[in-house]
Amino acid sequence: MNEIYPLAVPKGRKLKCEVCEAPAERMCGACTVTFYCGVAHQRADWTSIHEKICQLLIPLRTTMPFYNSEEERKHGREQLVQRQKHLIELCYKVSQKYLFEGKHEESVPAALHSLRFRINVYGANSVQVVPAYLLLTEASIGLGQIVQAEEYLAQAQWIVLKATECSDEIQSLLHRNLGLLHTAKGNYEEARYHLANDIYHASCEYGTDNIRISAAYFLMANVFLHQKKMDVAGSLYTKVTDIWHTYLDQPIQNQLHAIKKPTDILAKELENDTGLDEPQESEAIHILETILEIREHTVEEKSQTTIKILKTVAMLHYLMMNLSKAHELALKAYLLSRELPNKEEFEALRELLSLIASKNPVTLKSAKFYNQTL
Amino acid sequence: MTLPPVQIDYSKLALLTRKRGTCSPVGLTKAQLLKIKDETDKYLEMKWKGLTKEEAAGYRNSYQKNICIDMLQHGYHKSFCEFFTLLKMWHALREAGGIRSIFWMQTPLEDLPEKLDQMYFFLTRAEDAELAGRYEEMYNNIFALARYFDNPDDKWLRDYFYGRCFKIGQLIKVDGGRKLAEAYANLGLLHEENGNFEEAVENYEAFSDMTEGRLWQDANGHLLNSIACENLRRIYTLLAEKMLKDKQYKQAIRTLLKACERAKQGGDKKMEGEAAFALGLAYHSTGESELARSALEIFSDISIALDDAVGLSRAYEAIAKVLASQGKPMEAVAYLEKVVEIAKNTDQKRRLVEACTLLGDIYNAKGFYTKACEFFKQAFDTTGEFRDIPLVDETKVHYGIAKAHQMMTTINKFIESSDYNSLNNLLTWKENRSEFFPEPTVDKSSDSKNEWPSRQLTPESDINSSSEDEEYNY
Repeated sequence: MNEIYPLAVPKGRKLKCEVCEAPAERMCGACTVTFYCGVAHQRADWTSIHEKICQLLIPLRTTMPFYNSEEERKHGREQLVQRQKHLIELCYKVSQKYLFEGKHEESVPAALHSLRFRINVYGANSVQVVPAYLLLTEASIGLGQIVQAEEYLAQAQWIVLKATECSDEIQSLLHRNLGLLHTAKGNYEEARYHLANDIYHASCEYGTDNIRISAAYFLMANVFLHQKKMDVAGSLYTKVTDIWHTYLDQPIQNQLHAIKKPTDILAKELENDTGLDEPQESEAIHILETILEIREHTVEEKSQTTIKILKTVAMLHYLMMNLSKAHELALKAYLLSRELPNKEEFEALRELLSLIASKNPVTLKSAKFYNQTL
Repeated sequence: MTLPPVQIDYSKLALLTRKRGTCSPVGLTKAQLLKIKDETDKYLEMKWKGLTKEEAAGYRNSYQKNICIDMLQHGYHKSFCEFFTLLKMWHALREAGGIRSIFWMQTPLEDLPEKLDQMYFFLTRAEDAELAGRYEEMYNNIFALARYFDNPDDKWLRDYFYGRCFKIGQLIKVDGGRKLAEAYANLGLLHEENGNFEEAVENYEAFSDMTEGRLWQDANGHLLNSIACENLRRIYTLLAEKMLKDKQYKQAIRTLLKACERAKQGGDKKMEGEAAFALGLAYHSTGESELARSALEIFSDISIALDDAVGLSRAYEAIAKVLASQGKPMEAVAYLEKVVEIAKNTDQKRRLVEACTLLGDIYNAKGFYTKACEFFKQAFDTTGEFRDIPLVDETKVHYGIAKAHQMMTTINKFIESSDYNSLNNLLTWKENRSEFFPEPTVDKSSDSKNEWPSRQLTPESDINSSSEDEEYNY
């Protein structure tokens, strides 16, 4: 929070704002290696990413200490690259998480950091830079700055086009963002084309039923929804639900299995774990809750699908230890499923409810109550 | 928040052009430039009839990728998943099959645009129908695919699609289960081809149960139920054959009885005959000759009723075999001669050979060597007409043995009598090795008395060339 005076800086050394690259007038007091043009940008950076990486930046931005042997120098350089790579990943994850939470503004500085370090490590024209551009694109779209987004995207596309070998993963990401952009611009046909490409490449990389593809299917469904093709959109939403249901059902079945087995005192209680990282979790919540909302609004006699999505969301919340929410949703699904002829689903939901209750003393009582009345 | 400009590395050339700035008027923002570029692109697209971006990508990408993208773009995500998995499966099958698998010989599926097109067409139509809830149409589309892949190379695809048909069939409620029944039949066929007879039986039985009492007909106007019965008969017969090989005679006969029952239920006479025939053979191999004979006689009756000469000859031949094993060679001979006649009339060379050989065998065993010779010769002459070397050799040997037997008795007589005349005869024969002997008639009568005492119908006196005509007529 110290002020600096650009004119007092030694000649030839230009201090630039971390966010907008304008001449700097302020410096972060904690690390003393980061500069800003004003309070606004400093605050934005701090809330976004700087708080988390403030101390990590010091070794990267101060000159390397003097080493005596070539070996040590080499080691020092390698360590530097390692640190940068670590920062790349960190910034990327943070930015992604903000995006899924809908905090576009916060995600920008983190994405910029990721981009900068990527350029440093890999060079400006390498494929590794593309994901950072894509983050920025997504943030820009979220902020409604379409032109800016297009610019980033054009750059990303150009890099991919020039690269002789580009992994399916990056191709898929690129097309997803192109799809997003065209959706935002209202070019639904093109959006669908790019999303189709996205799904294809992602399928090549992960297989057709991976949770990583669910987002693309979800976006595609949204496009169809905009075009008023309800049946196709519905079928795609079902697909997304199925993917997540299969994925989340696995740990739940394991837990149920463990409970049914004769109790072994030494056995560790299975912990709730989705097996996802934070951005993926927030993505899952975003996607599934949107679908749930859509289903609840457009529901016409399709209680089967509603139950499924309710159950899936409940499972997700349960695995993320949001027990009260999980209980509420599972209960809803449970009550709905009572009217269905298919008893299988009904049983599955009852098991889920009891599992949720076993982790939570508050809902335990009400669960017992329901079990008695039924 | 204002964002920083994109960092771009320009090549030296690019930097120069930028500096000169001849192409673009100075002072335009990037946004404006982008807009101008878009407009130019659009103009070129409209006026120059060039390639759109998608078309360009279409040429650059592989055919399968284009199909996948086209499917997805129009929302056919299920078709895409299926298509994609199938392409993967081909490679997986190839790997799993090892170096000897037939898949190594084939062109990869993704390089056969025609097949990919077919899959695209039917899969997407099926998905359309599924979305609209018209399962019957969906079934028809998938079934069409299965039919399309009905060749040895794509057997796995056909099997896969039949499996799908079955699943769809379970969803169709309105037609009273007809599609499901057909699906069962197809599954049964698959199992039959793969040699899983037990499972095939299960499927066929389901098919038959579902079609019983219904008047459904297939495209050729056959009743589905009778098709079911025919299938069941066939599969039971196959099963029984397998059991017979493993010497489980009782089980085999039980299975064959089931086959007969099904055949009767099916109402097709020919089918019934076939079942009876198989049953007869099975009885024969267990040694229950009477039952075998009655079963075979059913077959022969049916064949007569249907005017089926080939069937009749088969029936008679089998009956003859049963009789021969029962120790009634004369009756067997009677049947076999009928077979010879029918075979001659209907031009069944192989059956003729078989019947003649059998006849020859019987005569040979009973010591009627001239007769045996005659039939073996007939068999041998007939085999000469088709190029089956082992068969020719076999009949040749038979013929030779009979011939030798025929001469043997005469020579023995000559040696035993040991007088000058006989010696002379032997010597002359040795010199020229002709087939014919001056045969003393006395010898023959004793020979037939010794060797064939049970014989009552034929004249006992002699069976040399002069009396042969009589016998033939009998």
